Amino acid sequence: MKCSAPPETPVKYVEAVVWLPYHYVAGDYRAVYLRALKDKKILGSRCDVTKKVFVPPVINSPESFAPCSELVQVSDQGRITTFCIVNIPVIGRNLELPYVAASVLLDGADIPIFALIQECRTEDVHMGMRVEAVWKPDGQRQGDHEDILYFRPSQSSSSGEWPRPI
Amino acid sequence: MPQLRNVAIVAFAQLPVVARDEHRTATEMLYLAVRQALEQCQARRDDIDYQIAGSTDYMDGRPFGFVTALESLGSWPPRQDLHLEMDGTFCAYYAWLRMQAGDCETALVVAHGKVSEGDPRRVTNLQMDPYYHAPLGIDAIASSALQASMYMARTGVGDHELARVAARNRAHGARNPDNQVRAVATAEELQSTPFVVEPLRQGYLAPVGETATCLILAVEGKAERMCDRPVWIHGVDHRSELQTLGARDLSRSAGARLASERALALAGLDRADQVDLAELAATNPAEEMVLCDALGLDPFASRPVLNPSGGPLCADPVMSTGLIRLGEAFRQLAGRAGERTVSGAEMALVHGQQGHCLQTNIVWICGTRRRWS
Amino acid sequence: MRLGDMVIEPMTQRQVMEFPYKHSTGPIVGRFLAALKEQRQIWGQRVSGGAVIVPPQGYSEWDGSAGTEWVPVEDQGVVVAVAKVWQPVERLHPFPEPFAYVLVRLEGADTALLHVVKTDFDHVRIGSRVRAEWLPDGERRGSIWDIREFRLLPAA
Repeated sequence: MKCSAPPETPVKYVEAVVWLPYHYVAGDYRAVYLRALKDKKILGSRCDVTKKVFVPPVINSPESFAPCSELVQVSDQGRITTFCIVNIPVIGRNLELPYVAASVLLDGADIPIFALIQECRTEDVHMGMRVEAVWKPDGQRQGDHEDILYFRPSQSSSSGEWPRPI
Repeated sequence: MPQLRNVAIVAFAQLPVVARDEHRTATEMLYLAVRQALEQCQARRDDIDYQIAGSTDYMDGRPFGFVTALESLGSWPPRQDLHLEMDGTFCAYYAWLRMQAGDCETALVVAHGKVSEGDPRRVTNLQMDPYYHAPLGIDAIASSALQASMYMARTGVGDHELARVAARNRAHGARNPDNQVRAVATAEELQSTPFVVEPLRQGYLAPVGETATCLILAVEGKAERMCDRPVWIHGVDHRSELQTLGARDLSRSAGARLASERALALAGLDRADQVDLAELAATNPAEEMVLCDALGLDPFASRPVLNPSGGPLCADPVMSTGLIRLGEAFRQLAGRAGERTVSGAEMALVHGQQGHCLQTNIVWICGTRRRWS
Repeated sequence: MRLGDMVIEPMTQRQVMEFPYKHSTGPIVGRFLAALKEQRQIWGQRVSGGAVIVPPQGYSEWDGSAGTEWVPVEDQGVVVAVAKVWQPVERLHPFPEPFAYVLVRLEGADTALLHVVKTDFDHVRIGSRVRAEWLPDGERRGSIWDIREFRLLPAA
């Protein structure tokens, strides 16, 4: 079979699956942070120079460039600094719509964490609102981000001085 | 030849290359390297005008992971920053260019990567085109073996010469405390290791390892205040070739040849063997011989000293391997090379590369004196 | 407490990332692949200076000029580079058993095609003559793997 030219109609696509296995290292800062969640403790690291506390803990302050050598514990309560109301479903998250995703500045921390807000009507959420962590029950916590189920409006007042040495 | 701005290396820091650091992420490793480099030249973070990083997200398995490095670099207040998906030696080139353009005077040049967390062979497969090459599963070790076979066929170089080149690197590398592999091995021992991809044996391949690296560049006027023995850039050139393997003569490196000719000319030198030492980013001995062929160096001569650091056969942290060569030239010429010091060294040739079979090459010429007065 | 004063057991995690891609081929690569599937024919493209490049890119990689006419080449040729993979890597390399990558300069072509030799791969060397072993009709799907492998031809 001799042809004068290749077929006029091209093969339009080539399909490929890039398959890459990884063996990640969490790093010591994340390791101590995640393991502490099992004991219902939220850890941060304190900048040697500015004394600001980063949660989760980091090796250095991105702001001052100084090391954050000291680990401290922050409260599992804080206040909402900003939030949004989610009205569209997110892949991998089966939550009843609408729900609130918020930045929560924990007592003793100088940087907020991202948090899910539950147990209140979305229209009642406001900046400055006090919230507290709702933990997985004892015995079920694994030392991962799922150990905090969500945050809800605070039912108790803040207890004492934060951050605390560990 | 043009009159260019004198730029010098004033600091270089790396963490010792290890097979796997289980306690730190790539950017945590990087922070330590940056701190060390700044301390070497007694610079505060704010003294540095420009920063540029080399890493590859596929290797780290963190899409847009390079952004995390901004925090380890101390990017506040907001910095002039650039990221290349290339070895740090190419980052140094871009920083040097910006200095020639006159818009910065000091630069942090870094490279990082957790090579052990990913799989370099799978990642180098992805450098290939997705129609003709990548589906066949070819990786950088296999393509290097194709190159080695062509080089050996063209020149008549045999297995034993490859073993001798590898053994020379291993002998030098034993004196470098930053190396991952520090055991001396004879040519006979290396030649008795099994083929991984023939003609390349296990003993001819670079170990998989990781580090983080930081080099600091500064222009004349600042460099002298930051370092008692700054190492000056005399010439540099960067050349890329075709990607298609079958359209190239893999037994030669036209790109390395041209880059070295241009870099030597800029440095006012006629030949590569006028330097005292050369650091070549060759990841196997056949590639090193292809490079020597292109640069006009004799792989078995005693001078210039080739890879006094031990070269990539003793430590090949992908993305940092080329920058380490430049850092090693600094350590040699600035009197910081410890036991492996090449006595009386004043000029060094430094090679870096990226891609399959020396697709992209950069050649630097460095010296203890200022190039332009 | 300072992190440096603590003894910390490393925390690690294994995870596989899969990225499914559908790469557009364009008219040149697409017609080359269509010819493998429908014609069992390998086509090259002439570029400036008269060279025939296989596989075609649609342009000359040397000077960037556009490719011109399609030129059929033979499905046999000479091995110009060989890499014998004695320790294949699972899910990277195409076979669990050792094989060879080869660059083959097909008759009528001025560049070499990358492919594999599986059968009797340990006998292949630079200068060996090889011929494409095609997948049968109905199994070819417009891929470089429509050629199953290259097989050694008896020495001339």
